[in-house]
Amino acid sequence: MDELYLDNIDEYVNDQDKIVTYKWLSLTLGVHVNTAKQMLFHYLDHKRKESSAQLNATYLVSGKFVDNGQTCHKVSVVKEDKLEDFKSKMSLIVSVHVYSVQKALLKDSGPLYSVDYDAVKDNMKNCSRYSAIRCASAVPVCSPELQQTREIQQSPTPEPENKKPGMNGEANLASKPSTKPQRGIMGMFANKSAPKNQDGGKDVKPEQKEDAPVVDLHKGKPDVKANPMTNFFGSQAAKKVVKTVEEAAQSSFSAERQRQTSPPEEKPAAAVELPKDTKKDSRSKTKRLVDSDSEEEKMDKKKRRRIKKPEPDSSDEDVIPDSPQRMETREPSWSPKKKVESVSHSHQGNSEMKTRKRRRVLKSRTFLDDEGCIVTEKGYESESYSEAEDDVQAAKRAPRNPVAAKLSSSTKPDEKRSHKKTSANANKGTKQASIMGFFQKK
Amino acid sequence: MTTLTRQDLNFGQVVADILCEFLEVAIHLILYVREVYPSGIFQKRKKYNVPVQMSCHPELNQYIQDTLYCVKPLIEKNDAEKVAVVIMDKEHHPVERFVFEISQPPLLSISSDTLLSHVEQLLRAFILKISVCDAVLNNNPPGCSFTVLVHTRDAATRNMEKVQVIKDFPWIVADEQEVHMQEPRLIPLKTMTSDIVKMQLYVEERAQKT
Repeated sequence: MDELYLDNIDEYVNDQDKIVTYKWLSLTLGVHVNTAKQMLFHYLDHKRKESSAQLNATYLVSGKFVDNGQTCHKVSVVKEDKLEDFKSKMSLIVSVHVYSVQKALLKDSGPLYSVDYDAVKDNMKNCSRYSAIRCASAVPVCSPELQQTREIQQSPTPEPENKKPGMNGEANLASKPSTKPQRGIMGMFANKSAPKNQDGGKDVKPEQKEDAPVVDLHKGKPDVKANPMTNFFGSQAAKKVVKTVEEAAQSSFSAERQRQTSPPEEKPAAAVELPKDTKKDSRSKTKRLVDSDSEEEKMDKKKRRRIKKPEPDSSDEDVIPDSPQRMETREPSWSPKKKVESVSHSHQGNSEMKTRKRRRVLKSRTFLDDEGCIVTEKGYESESYSEAEDDVQAAKRAPRNPVAAKLSSSTKPDEKRSHKKTSANANKGTKQASIMGFFQKK
Repeated sequence: MTTLTRQDLNFGQVVADILCEFLEVAIHLILYVREVYPSGIFQKRKKYNVPVQMSCHPELNQYIQDTLYCVKPLIEKNDAEKVAVVIMDKEHHPVERFVFEISQPPLLSISSDTLLSHVEQLLRAFILKISVCDAVLNNNPPGCSFTVLVHTRDAATRNMEKVQVIKDFPWIVADEQEVHMQEPRLIPLKTMTSDIVKMQLYVEERAQKT
């Protein structure tokens, strides 16, 4: 072996005034304990020959000792000056090796323990890495795996319970054909967690055209599945097409379902919730979505409904069976809001994936008052939502003003949020829509 | 992360408790290592998860405890700059001085949950260093005694007088003879820095002890 270790030990002993035990040396230098013992012996021998500095050493002696007729195996740490005396008393000496080298004359063995204490504590998990004592059957249990299996067993039971109220709430509102297959999927989700993953993957696959092959491969791998979802949203940012948005809405809806049901799929939900929070517990997330009244959720809901509207009825902005007044509100700003939503969809790709929940949303109702002016009132109504926030905000911002003021106020936030081109279109669109709305009311 | 000020007396008391506990162990260990008293009165006890030597003699123990009881209020208010354990020869001239310089940051910030275990590790290193300090020090003459000196900031001794009345343990201003050491040699032993306290230990040794 090279001579560098001699300098190392010399530095520890003379410069730093440390007590160098063989165990500490083996952990510090990363060598086997027998190598460390030999190093200490060579160093001691070298220094004694040089007779440069006063060094003290302790030795570990193990062997058979006869005490009052009884033979026992004795292992002792003895000082150098008492070594020969102790060895003579042993009936059989099994091993003698250097235990420690230090400059100080130790009065007791306490510091020897203190020296090894921190070194062993730092290497607690592999303190026997360099040890000569081996046992093949002594294998530690892998605790992370244990914890994971426990978590997987615990988490599926509360999730189906939470999902059911959400399903019921959304089933009431769902009158679109697009929701029906999703409800079927929800039924599949309600059964088991493992099949849910697969079903969710299948459901997502036809809707997510870009990621279909990717999702197929990633069944049952929630972490990897998160990436297709986020990639999907990232790709969505490049596309500003209504149909794509609709697909995103549907896929996000199904993805939400999937997320709610499969406990390991935390990352897609986390990606969705990125604008709000990054809660990893999907169960708590669904609860929060149910209870919250945030603008993001309003925007999600408004956006989603608006996406569906163009197909059945192009003239109406939002067809909501329980709130016909809201339709009127939607009409004036239908086209700009659509563009706003598409732009906002690009901006907030993450927030598309919302769970369908009922929530109280601040809605604007436009009506004709006694003087013949169109008045817009704001009020809270419970609605289902699943889309991004911009649309809701565009609707929400309508104040209690005549139409023109309302248009200007609604377009201002639009300008802030969307691109300049889109805002110009929004301005033109809102003005035309308001005129149409005025005529229709009469 | 919590940031506490000096006015938060609870935390100041905690720090003072930790330091006084440590100083008690350190004083006992210094007396053992420097052979101020015969080793027969010491027994092995456990502190900071390592074996330390503590005295069994009741009057010695009481003396050390009373000393630190009076020092504790000074440490609480960060008035104690240094606590020195001075070993004197028969003529009451200091031969060795173990100086603990203590300073506490004005804003105590608890930055981690492992703060106290980290502090314990640092104090353990101090204990270990005291155990092996005889490698760098010369032997003391026989018949030595010891005393504890406290260097305070400003006029903090007025506060101490109140404690003296309660405890009936008089503190007096140290004589020049006890403070001044001829030809001192400075040997640094250990330094520690933590969120709650900064401490360094060094030894001033007289060049010629006998």
